[in-house]
Amino acid sequence: MGKHVAGPTGRLDILDDVSLEVNVGETVAITGASGSGKTTLLGLLAGLDLPSRGSVRLDGHALEALDEEARARLRLRLVGFVFQSFHLLPALTAEENVLLPLELDGAPDALARVRAALASVGLRERGAHYPYQLSGGEQQRVAIARAFVHDPRILFADEPTGNLDHTSRDGIADLLFSLNREHHTTLVLVTHDPALAARCARVHELVDGRLRVHAA
Amino acid sequence: MIIPRLALRTLRREWRLPELRTLMAALLLAVVALGAVGTLAARVQNAVLMSAAELIGGDLGIDASTPLPPAFVDHAKALGLHTSTLAEFPSVAFAHDRSQLLSVIAGDGAWPLRGKLVVTAANGSSHNARAPAAGSIDLDHRALVALGLTPGDRVQVGGMDLVVAAQIEQQPGGSGLVSLAPHAVMALSDARASGLLGVGSRARHRLLVAGGVTDVAAYRSWAKAHLPGDARLVTPEDVQQRLAIAFDRAGAFLQLAALLAALLAGIAVALSAQRYARRKTDEIALLRALGASSRFTFGSLAWTLALPSLLAAFAGVAIALGLAALAFAYAHNLLPPSAQRAPMPFGPAFAAAGMGLAVLVGFALPPLARLKAIPPIAVFRRSAMRTSRRFDAWYLLPVLVALGLIALATGSWKIAGVLAASLAGAAAFTALLTFTSLWCIRRYAARLSPALRLGASALARRRGLSLLQACAISLGLTALLLLAVVAPALLDNWRRDLPPDTPNWFVVNLQTPQRADVRGALAKLDATRFNDMPVAVGKLVSINGVDVESTPFRGRDVSQEASQQVRLSWSGALPPANRVVEGRWFAQDPAQAEVSLDVAWIHRFDLKLGDTLEFLVGDRHLDARLTSVREVDWSRFDVNFFVLLDPAHGQTLPHTWIASFHLPSGDAHALAAFSRDYPNLSLIDVDDLLDRARQIVGQVTTAARWVLAFSLLAGALVLAAALTMSAAERRHEAALLRTLGARRAQLRMAALCEFGLLGAISGATALLAAAIGGTWLAHSVFRMQAFAPPWPQLAIAAIVAAAVVAALGLVGTRGVLRTPPLQLLRR
Ligand SMILES: Nc1ncnc2c1ncn2[C@@H]1O[C@H](COP(=O)(O)OP(=O)(O)OP(=O)(O)O)[C@@H](O)[C@H]1O
Ligand SMILES: [Mg+2]
Repeated sequence: MGKHVAGPTGRLDILDDVSLEVNVGETVAITGASGSGKTTLLGLLAGLDLPSRGSVRLDGHALEALDEEARARLRLRLVGFVFQSFHLLPALTAEENVLLPLELDGAPDALARVRAALASVGLRERGAHYPYQLSGGEQQRVAIARAFVHDPRILFADEPTGNLDHTSRDGIADLLFSLNREHHTTLVLVTHDPALAARCARVHELVDGRLRVHAA
Repeated sequence: MIIPRLALRTLRREWRLPELRTLMAALLLAVVALGAVGTLAARVQNAVLMSAAELIGGDLGIDASTPLPPAFVDHAKALGLHTSTLAEFPSVAFAHDRSQLLSVIAGDGAWPLRGKLVVTAANGSSHNARAPAAGSIDLDHRALVALGLTPGDRVQVGGMDLVVAAQIEQQPGGSGLVSLAPHAVMALSDARASGLLGVGSRARHRLLVAGGVTDVAAYRSWAKAHLPGDARLVTPEDVQQRLAIAFDRAGAFLQLAALLAALLAGIAVALSAQRYARRKTDEIALLRALGASSRFTFGSLAWTLALPSLLAAFAGVAIALGLAALAFAYAHNLLPPSAQRAPMPFGPAFAAAGMGLAVLVGFALPPLARLKAIPPIAVFRRSAMRTSRRFDAWYLLPVLVALGLIALATGSWKIAGVLAASLAGAAAFTALLTFTSLWCIRRYAARLSPALRLGASALARRRGLSLLQACAISLGLTALLLLAVVAPALLDNWRRDLPPDTPNWFVVNLQTPQRADVRGALAKLDATRFNDMPVAVGKLVSINGVDVESTPFRGRDVSQEASQQVRLSWSGALPPANRVVEGRWFAQDPAQAEVSLDVAWIHRFDLKLGDTLEFLVGDRHLDARLTSVREVDWSRFDVNFFVLLDPAHGQTLPHTWIASFHLPSGDAHALAAFSRDYPNLSLIDVDDLLDRARQIVGQVTTAARWVLAFSLLAGALVLAAALTMSAAERRHEAALLRTLGARRAQLRMAALCEFGLLGAISGATALLAAAIGGTWLAHSVFRMQAFAPPWPQLAIAAIVAAAVVAALGLVGTRGVLRTPPLQLLRR
């Protein structure tokens, strides 16, 4: 598939000819220089945006054939997403932010699951705090908790450890991979961190709009 | 100079910002609304005044018992005004063996300057005319019948032999009500030559001027300062008190409407400024962190705003003038022909630009001034901003500006105070209602269904914004409801004051023994609504024993007021259209005489309950204690009196009676015989006045409809500004929810819930505020005694408005539902 956008200086080809297959339970890392199109690719894979050409199939569904509504339903069921810039709702507390996916689904015992998720990212005490009262790393951890609280089948994470110190970075990595082990959650991570990439089964590098396999 | 250049660069970049555009649009609309409404209102008011000028035959008159010094004509000429001199006097006319007392106007060739003298000549053709040439006279139908004449015949007036040139069909009113006898119009030169105006005659002399509004105003102030002792100014406004009240009301109506439009625009300005300030916070914090001084950042901000503001203000003036001209061109055939020449006033449009800029500064400065205090640390943490929650004196500014504007528009600080207080009350009520609702939502949200909870908590999350939105929408709706529902109801009420069978004739000088006969004779003529009241004519001599004509009373010289004739009446029951506002109505047969006064008298002489007033009627002195103060609805065409006595004491005074009745205008000729049977009676026809009053109501209704259209636009802008205030947040939120998998129905339900609640709160507040405000306005500003808010219409309008708010919220989610969420988040 490919993706291009209209830029201020004309057409900008972000992704040229990308082909990627991820199986259930796999862990995949995507690396690449800044501006190489990693976030764009991740968004396409998660059905948050549509490719300019080609196709994205998620759990057997061709995403471009669905309407926005159907894609939303699919995301709610299958996908967790951690944004590079977190995208927490500033007016909601950490707990309420994490609660959102469960609330949308009308899930039972939502609050208990939210607390468990926050505890597992080390923010048990900070549930009542608003994003502006949290540090960048803490906000990132809230975003991660929000991404997995509803047990998605596949979790996309854009630089999940970018703002974290060594210890918490390892803690988050451990958490993500334990999700993979225990729940067979597929992981697709964008990262600059070689250590994190190394823990994945596959590593791809984006160069000039194409994917290069790094390790198998 | 670096700052303006930087500002220009910023401007080029920020010109695209929706809130800056909204801010400028709000300013533009403020100026357009204020300017167009102000210009149109001023022009319509001019036009209405001009049509009133028809009543006195000029734009301004000076009445005196002797001819005015030539300086008065000279000064008018110097100002480029047209002038006309006339005299008015009673005179007996003789033809064959009959005689008839006539009310004569002797005018020069220019009379009338305003209004129409329509005559039918001997050949049967009707045309507009001036005062007849020397040697001839025009007579009205009553005079012709009474004297048995037709045009072409001869008649003796003041010892002169004149030719009856034509029959008068229509003429400008003389001194209003006192047009007693049949009318005649003759040449001023004849009247002078015949000695009719000589010493000892009962003639009143009048100089009329007409011309441009400002010139007339200039002449008026000059004349006021130079009036000879017994002369007085006669203006279209005061030519007749009831009509004057109609003008007052008309003016107040239009001013109120313009004012509400201005406030609406102010709200829109405040909202977009708030949003702009929020947007600028990060940028300014960053600039401060990079080392810019707060003076520099604020200075560049001020320049950035000042440049487009001035542009918008001037564009607004141009558009306002254009719109007002268009509106007037469209509406002008609804006005009487002579009023169509009303010139376009330029003052209001430029004043509107000034007021618009004042609104901009007043409403936009507070949020922007806060930016000055942003600490650089805010770059890292928005919470640094939140600590400075102390009371900010800046927020008094819009209140002061609003107060000033209202005072300017209504010319009364009291009205400004009450209006501002009630608007503030409405805002406070909304805030309270919103606050409580949000609290309840926070508290009990867990029990709601997820979608409902999402929507309701969306409001609760943006608490500050929600409060602001709710207040803005409430105030906007209040203003609109006042204009759209209460104003028409007020006008209706006013129209109802003048039903078709309103008494249109008055009979004065009715003697007590004649009462029953006259009543019977009129009943035979199918006159209805006959009502008579006693009237004694006297003078106020003293108050609490102080001779008011020679001694100041309570520190004020009231000799001028006291020198005038007083008409006293009495009644056992409180007459209709009267309301006791202080004290109590007369006791049964009180030992000492009691008097009840209209509030105007209370102010005129600075009186208090319990004061003793001494009246002199004929040679009888009467001491009466002030026991009640009345408010009289003078716009009603009933017989009313400033001074009422208790009947037991009133009856003892020498008196006659004044009666009013209704006779369809076509049947007036039947009164000719009646007036011959009762020669001592004077019949007064107020049909003209009634017609004028009815026309004014009609004109104001039309004007108010135009003003409403402008205000609806302003209201729409407020709504748009209020909704777009949170649009960015909402879009981000919705996009994020969408990435998390929120369904269309959930987002719609959330939006519906959020805006439904907002609409319901605003609608309810606006409903109450408009009803209370409208009632207050009816009583205090428009002096209507019986006014009930039109609840059903108000309720329907409020519900519709709430539904519109909710629907707009829904429409706002449409884009979000269609666009891939990542594209939304990148914005
Ligand atoms: N909607 C858009 N309009 C214009 N340019 C875009 C758009 N979306 C992405 N781009 C451009 O495409 C390129 C890839 O963006 P993307 O965010 O995917 O980069 P990235 O690999 O995630 O970079 P980083 O590591 O810095 O996060 C960038 O140059 C970006 O400016
Ligand atoms: Mg990226």
